[in-house]
Amino acid sequence: MTGSRALDGIGTLARLGLAAVWITSGLLKAVDPAQTYVAVRAYDVLSRTAVGVVAGVLPWFELALGLLLLAGVGVRAVAVLSAGLLLVFLAGVTQAWVRGLSIDCGCFGGGGAVAPGQTQYVQEILRDVGFLALAAWLVVRPRTLFAAERRLVTSGLG
Amino acid sequence: MGGADRNERRRRQEAAQARLKAAGIKPERKGLSGNTLVLAIVAVVVIAAIVVGVVVTLNNRSTEAAGPAPNYPVARSGAVITAGQPSAPVTVDIYEDYLCPYCERLESAYKDQITTALNAGQIKVDYHAISILDRASSPAGYSTRAANAAICAADAGIFPAYHAELYADQPSEGSAGFSVQELTDKGTALGAGGTFGQCVAAQANSGLIQDATNTAAANPALQTNGNFGTPTVAIGGRKIDVNDSDWLQKAIAG
Repeated sequence: MTGSRALDGIGTLARLGLAAVWITSGLLKAVDPAQTYVAVRAYDVLSRTAVGVVAGVLPWFELALGLLLLAGVGVRAVAVLSAGLLLVFLAGVTQAWVRGLSIDCGCFGGGGAVAPGQTQYVQEILRDVGFLALAAWLVVRPRTLFAAERRLVTSGLG
Repeated sequence: MGGADRNERRRRQEAAQARLKAAGIKPERKGLSGNTLVLAIVAVVVIAAIVVGVVVTLNNRSTEAAGPAPNYPVARSGAVITAGQPSAPVTVDIYEDYLCPYCERLESAYKDQITTALNAGQIKVDYHAISILDRASSPAGYSTRAANAAICAADAGIFPAYHAELYADQPSEGSAGFSVQELTDKGTALGAGGTFGQCVAAQANSGLIQDATNTAAANPALQTNGNFGTPTVAIGGRKIDVNDSDWLQKAIAG
């Protein structure tokens, strides 16, 4: 029983931690659309039109994931979406590194081209892998404390 | 699974729930309704976020290819290219570097609004080609090369289309940028003839462009926190905030 509660506690920290990550990164991107556009474009993967759409949608998508995690609604589903998005980010950063581009990931605002030698691909990848671990925990074991979904599932509301 | 199995399973579940109830434990109903509700909430929130993103994006960008066609005069004075009727009541100064991705975003977001206002004679735009990103191309020098080519395009009478083309196909920072030949071919494709190619190759206005860059960078009215960057948009000589998506309408309204 205590073991289960401890695991619930770890899961809760993972959930709130990942919520903080998405809310912070989403807000920073949402308040500076021009910067976000430039950051997405710098990966040099998408067409100009697609860059506009991705840069427009991404901040709000991240905020949605963050708010759902904060409330604890659909933790497993949101963790799956989070892991998917993080894998996309990891692929983006990795391809930039492999291709020899000099960019900032723009993960938490910022982004765009930087001088060669100013890149931080290793740190960016390790950070994303850490976030991915939080998401993976919640996919495997979505049970957490103070999650609104416990109430919804129990009462059914419908 | 046979019907008998199902009945047996249901009977056991009911028995188990009865025992839990007798013990005062409220069983967690992992029923479809609860899980479906949760997933429905997730879907609604995620879709709402995507819709918000798309709406904000559409609000903030020019309509696709079918934008208004430029129908305004273009004049040049030194490194400054003036688009629009000289008598237009509002002067917008745009300081831009052809390698600057924010300038490309400004162009893609506001090109149609600006063209419409220029066509209607509501504004004129003084385009100042700036070369602060010369070192951001490899090899260095694309900003100056493109700014020279844009001046040639103004002289050849194709500036609006050429300006749009340099951004529609803008090279990335860190790349070589367009060569003299590529810059020439783009102009030729837009109808520039005669000496356009020689003009692009000569880069005769590099000195003027450098002077304009230095002058702009040293002008406090064009700085934010003591720094000059591109794009900078000024109305009546004072820098304005182009993150306000209504900046042009406000400028026209006075």
